[in-house]
Amino acid sequence: MKKILIANRGEIALRILRAVQEQGLTAVGVYETPDKEARHIRAADEAIWIGEGPRKDYLNIDKMIWAARKAGADGIHPGYGFLAENPDFPKACEDAGLIFIGPPAKVIHALGNKVIARTIAESAGVSVIPGSETLPYGQEGEERALAFAREHGFPLMLKATSGGGGRGIRKVNNAKELIDQMPLARAEAKAAFNDARLYLEKGVINPKHIEVQVLADSFGHIIHMGTRDCSIQRRNQKLVEIAPALIPDQPLLDNICTAAIKVAQEANYVNAGTVEFLVDEGGHFYFLEMNTRLQVEHTVTEMVTGMDIVRAQIDIAAGKKLKFSQEDVHIRGHAIEMRINAEDPKNNFLPEGGKTITVYNSPGGAGIRLDGIVYQGYVIPQVYDSLLVKLTVHGFTWQEAVERMRRALKGFAIVGPKTTIPFYLNIVNEPDFQKGIFNTSYLDLKPDLFVYKEEDREVAKLAKLIATIHHKGFNPFAA
Amino acid sequence: MQHIRPGMDTKDILRRLKEAKGYFITNTARDLSQSDFKNRILLHTDLLAAKPRDAAGYFSLEITGGASVHVDMLRKQVNPFLKLELLRREMPNTLFQTLCRGVNLFGYRPYPENAIRLTVREFAKYVEVWRVFDFLNYIPNMVPVFEEVKKAGKILEPSICFSTGPEHTDKFYVSKVQEILDVTGEDIILCIKNHGGLGTPKRIGELVASIKQRFPDLLIHYHGHNTDSNDVPRIAAAILSGAEIVDAADHAFTGFYGPPPVLSVIQTMEAHGIRAEGVSTDAVIETSEALRPERAAYADFESQFKGFDSTVQVHKLPGGATGSSFEQAVKGEFLHLMPKILREELPRVQIELGNWWSVTPGSQILWTTAVNNVLSGERYENASGDLKNLLLGRYGPFPFYRPSEEIYSKVFGPDWEKMLKEQGGVAKIEDIDLEKEEATLVERMGRSVTREEVVLYLQHPNDALDFLKFEEEYGQAYVLPPQIWFRKGGFNLGEHLDFVDYTGKSHVIELGPSYRSENGKQTLYLFVDHHSEVFLLEEEKKAGVETAVKLSKEEIASLAKVGDMRAPFASNVCQIPVKAGQEVKKGELVIVLEAMKMQNPIESQVEGKIDQVFVKLGQAVQVGDKLLTISPL
Repeated sequence: MKKILIANRGEIALRILRAVQEQGLTAVGVYETPDKEARHIRAADEAIWIGEGPRKDYLNIDKMIWAARKAGADGIHPGYGFLAENPDFPKACEDAGLIFIGPPAKVIHALGNKVIARTIAESAGVSVIPGSETLPYGQEGEERALAFAREHGFPLMLKATSGGGGRGIRKVNNAKELIDQMPLARAEAKAAFNDARLYLEKGVINPKHIEVQVLADSFGHIIHMGTRDCSIQRRNQKLVEIAPALIPDQPLLDNICTAAIKVAQEANYVNAGTVEFLVDEGGHFYFLEMNTRLQVEHTVTEMVTGMDIVRAQIDIAAGKKLKFSQEDVHIRGHAIEMRINAEDPKNNFLPEGGKTITVYNSPGGAGIRLDGIVYQGYVIPQVYDSLLVKLTVHGFTWQEAVERMRRALKGFAIVGPKTTIPFYLNIVNEPDFQKGIFNTSYLDLKPDLFVYKEEDREVAKLAKLIATIHHKGFNPFAA
Repeated sequence: MQHIRPGMDTKDILRRLKEAKGYFITNTARDLSQSDFKNRILLHTDLLAAKPRDAAGYFSLEITGGASVHVDMLRKQVNPFLKLELLRREMPNTLFQTLCRGVNLFGYRPYPENAIRLTVREFAKYVEVWRVFDFLNYIPNMVPVFEEVKKAGKILEPSICFSTGPEHTDKFYVSKVQEILDVTGEDIILCIKNHGGLGTPKRIGELVASIKQRFPDLLIHYHGHNTDSNDVPRIAAAILSGAEIVDAADHAFTGFYGPPPVLSVIQTMEAHGIRAEGVSTDAVIETSEALRPERAAYADFESQFKGFDSTVQVHKLPGGATGSSFEQAVKGEFLHLMPKILREELPRVQIELGNWWSVTPGSQILWTTAVNNVLSGERYENASGDLKNLLLGRYGPFPFYRPSEEIYSKVFGPDWEKMLKEQGGVAKIEDIDLEKEEATLVERMGRSVTREEVVLYLQHPNDALDFLKFEEEYGQAYVLPPQIWFRKGGFNLGEHLDFVDYTGKSHVIELGPSYRSENGKQTLYLFVDHHSEVFLLEEEKKAGVETAVKLSKEEIASLAKVGDMRAPFASNVCQIPVKAGQEVKKGELVIVLEAMKMQNPIESQVEGKIDQVFVKLGQAVQVGDKLLTISPL
């Protein structure tokens, strides 16, 4: 491959673009109108406008293929989100003679269907959370759901068959909730994934969310790159991710990694993927799903392994053999990633879309990695996500990583929108987090994390006033 | 004697005032700011002066009230309550004094009684001395304030407004004092409010003596203005006749229309062997030394016309309105007519309208009427809404005589008698639903609001709202000194601006380079506490495209006749009772413009349908600006 089109936007487009450009390849960016000044476009070697958007053109396979042809690209990287897990996309690439940097369509299709994915895991000998088949519509669906509840008891998780990324999941605690929530969950699934199908899973109480990064080439070599713990979530959306998982039981972690490899093998997996597990308090682990894409939190794995997952993806897609074997993977130290979002954690993480970043200073120094797209003057988009910058830190010990994270968070100066930084500072100062003790109920059990004083921005406000007085040549508020 | 200080019982304070051998001084910083600096003196400056002022031993510091509550929000962007709280922190030993109109309080139009009472209650938490007046000396107008001040346990200081002329006899004023005492009881201080600085020292001495003769135990507080440079002798005459308290201000800032210097009063009275009780001359001087370097920053707000004006005895404009009158004459391009207005028309209008007291809102009625009379050439044509209200007796009865029938018929037409009969009399304003007002404010702000914010909103709804929004956007801007706040022409590259924010942190902002980008936006670099920050600023719209061609009065009038309504004078839009698409009759009210605190109704000259409205509530308009268009039928 010589020229790679990145079918995505934001920080992940920039991340991929860097991997492409540093190998001396040409990176092609695409953009919808609202992104015309976006950083991933400025950094790309070529940029192609694909439509007014918002979002619909990033989701348009035909336009991506058209853009790749127009640019003369020979490969396409989908990033995460948008078209990344749409099996029609690799299919379309194949038809157009383009290399899709990701797993084959068949694999995406199989693993994208949560019910088939479970079957694959079961065939690989990996336990899955007891779950139902896809529930039929109407009363029959309700009856089957209730029958499943009788067999496994509450709580249950109501999930979208085509769901992913933590969306389309509802916890139900009794029969009434189950029946009440089904139509809502269907509507949500339909809206989010264009597929209203649902299934049920037994609820695992206060589990840890542990996942394993795997890499597989087309020659049957599959390796894992260790574990990540993504337990700190809000409404099943990850906020903080660490690598490796802080579970003292090393044989358990080894077993989880082995299980991940088995699932990938069973699925005939190729390229980078993530196998997700729930680990309960008794040390049992269950296969949850396999994500057939590069993940937001891949940075923590890169930090502790020193390997570049995106470059590996490109190599694999180019038909090369994996450059490293399982023995080459060494986990050194600990990494933490926090997603600095323009959101108000106190207000249910409401995005601060439309606000302008008037000040942006970022931290630096030892063990700090930033994957960001913001700059002074950046306007938080109202039509895309509110992720500003991913902050990933590395420390030789967990304590060092936590301390470094605190130092890095304090090193930010972001004025304009509210951000998740003060909330993250509360997390790094929280004793259980410092000890590495947390599971998916962490945020629910620590309401104090949401209590903090908004950063004192007095001087920034006054600076804005002074800028106005200077600009106008008089003080409009005194005249 | 123990110094009078906040927290003392009112009766105790009044007793100390009576027992003292000397006299007391009120520092009327508020009136100084209003009369000589267009009300612009910032809290920053008052805070600079706070320590020595507190040490100076004044009876009180008049620091709020009058138009200051409005201007605090409108031009200084400071919360009037916060201002008092911060000053109190620096000045624990000095009583704070306010000045308020009975029915208008700190605004320009009568308020509902429940709003008045709530406002007084909230301000009484910070203010110990309440000077209350009514421009018609109509006592019932002041009763709700009297009652609330007494309820709050604060010092009540009802005023008799003073003026000159054959009706203004000692007998008349003594009877007014009796009327006040009948309502308030004896535990008050009486203010002689000489807002124009009228009368000779002899006249003031006689007045004080007459009141003292009739009411020997009544405490008298003399308030005057130095417009004719003769107020120190008037003050001396008042003290020699028995007044206990007098008003003066810091000499570093004294001008022409406000109070005279404190120090001159002290020196004058020393020659008589009478002492200013509790006053430290050193602290008085120290205050002015602290203030002196600041005065230059306010130069733009001093009167364009330097020099005392002894013709005030003829035109009688109050000190608070003199500077702004000249400002309006310059803006309205009728400066050359000022001698005629001040020496001929204004005195004539005063006599014609009843020879009552030229003070807010009466002074604005007299001034606007005189200006209209001269500018339009046809006297009493185009009467302002406020003049109509006055003639209808809405503000209260005329104290001496009613204006002539000619004036009534000129203003109201031939049916004026019927109108007066049906609509005349003091307007009783219905109480407003305070909870509803609060809910409206909550909705407009999108957050919960404090009781104090509601009070500010009730006084000046749009301006209070603008201020609260400003505060959200720009924070506590009172920390900025006048040199920054009033800067004209921008800052210099590399200029350092040092200030301390409200939390006590020091900051330095340095001006960096700025660039204009292709899309017209200006990129400005500031170094805030040594960190670079970039500001993207919108290109200023080319102002005045619509008004590039200046329209004459005649042109504006003839455009109105074809339905193109233009602003006849520089003003603010304060009411738009019509909407686009609505049908209007000839003579129907379509817009109300406010200038110089006066509301001016603009009526349709045609019958037709409103085509388009070009202005918003609260918007400032210049002469000739499009207001709205009407398609004639």
